[in-house]
Amino acid sequence: MQQVDKWRGVAAATGAADRPAAEAGIRLAYRTAGLAEPERIVWADSPLAGLTAVRSLTEQGRSVRDEVRTKPWAEERRRIHDELGPAGWAEWWGVTGARLWDTTRALAERIRSGITDAPTTDPAELPETRQLLLDAVLGQHDAAWLAAFDGRGERLAGLAEVAAHAGWWWPYEKVTVVCERPVELHRDEAGRLDRGDGPALAYPDGFALYAWRGMPVPADFLAELTTLDPARIRTEENAELRRVMLEYYGYDRYLAESGAEPIGKDETGILWRIALADDEDVVMVEVVNSTPEPDGTSRTYWLRVPPNTRTAKEGVAWTFGLDAQTYEPLRQT
Amino acid sequence: MYRQGDVLIVPVAEESVPSGITEARSEPRDARGRLVLALGEVTGHAHAVTGPGRLVRETGGEFGPMLLHLPEGGRVVHEEHAMIPLPKGWFRVVRQREYLPGAVRVVAD
Repeated sequence: MQQVDKWRGVAAATGAADRPAAEAGIRLAYRTAGLAEPERIVWADSPLAGLTAVRSLTEQGRSVRDEVRTKPWAEERRRIHDELGPAGWAEWWGVTGARLWDTTRALAERIRSGITDAPTTDPAELPETRQLLLDAVLGQHDAAWLAAFDGRGERLAGLAEVAAHAGWWWPYEKVTVVCERPVELHRDEAGRLDRGDGPALAYPDGFALYAWRGMPVPADFLAELTTLDPARIRTEENAELRRVMLEYYGYDRYLAESGAEPIGKDETGILWRIALADDEDVVMVEVVNSTPEPDGTSRTYWLRVPPNTRTAKEGVAWTFGLDAQTYEPLRQT
Repeated sequence: MYRQGDVLIVPVAEESVPSGITEARSEPRDARGRLVLALGEVTGHAHAVTGPGRLVRETGGEFGPMLLHLPEGGRVVHEEHAMIPLPKGWFRVVRQREYLPGAVRVVAD
């Protein structure tokens, strides 16, 4: 589906918003909803700053999110649903929006919690903050729905235009607050926020989230990663942070420098064990990729397996939900 | 059984294929007409099968096991791995996982 690729790109887009295009989209969305265009459009550098801007508004009028987004959205969905039938709609959603749903929703949720957890957010205002966050139109992060609607009507063209050119926005009768997109977005293969040497998500005003393979980590923790040694890793008391340290440091390097011994070797690979104080042992299989890299070398990688694993083959079989007796690939690449 | 990177393809005897599978909805093919066994979210690289056949998700969840039926055989391709020819028949498609204390996560290659 071409529109999935297009909207996957929109959901992950970084860099300065196209403000004239986004503002034209906002005005179109208001007109399509039968409303007068907003008198003012206020830009903010991040969703956090957008929320502050929303709070500072005085003569903005009522929220028109329902008219601008929710109602036309629901009606378009019903229209396509009726046109395709329940099974047809499920299938259509499966090849369009569903492909983008999990990762985009997770990203939006992380931004929300990044805002509620921000040091500048007053705990006394949390209920109101949460409410205002739910009032936002998610712009580029509405990509899953917009992918499903793409090419099936003009009614959501304004919303699609804003999403393609800007970040989150809050529509009020007289004023619209609209945010810039991130300047940095780094995710791993599974779509989780992931970066070892800086923010995984950052906006132009400095609002940022740090994460390693999806796990939120403090910014100063990442700074420390570059100066790790095995002793520091062993003394880290937080098991999750220690796992991040091990992954960043490299199991291979840790194994070499901590003098770990292989506990077994067979045709599938090598089994290693690292004993950790006050925690279960780390047991890993070291396997070599069957297909050589373009430069002719073979990539070695490590997979963590349950601590009671006795052989490398048992470990590899476990990663596929099998026992060692039944794991017998005829061919692997 | 056949392995391509983080995907294992295990032959299944026809008589042990659950009876509901014939009525179950097939997974849609991708824009290139392929059956996608596993998709890399960011790179877009896919373990995919070309040719006739169908793919049915057996249980819920993004990485739940899937059943693959190839009435005429087929081939599994991936941008970074060598192609593997498959004989005709039924297969269970298993995505590799990794152990985490208290949890299990799917490996992405």
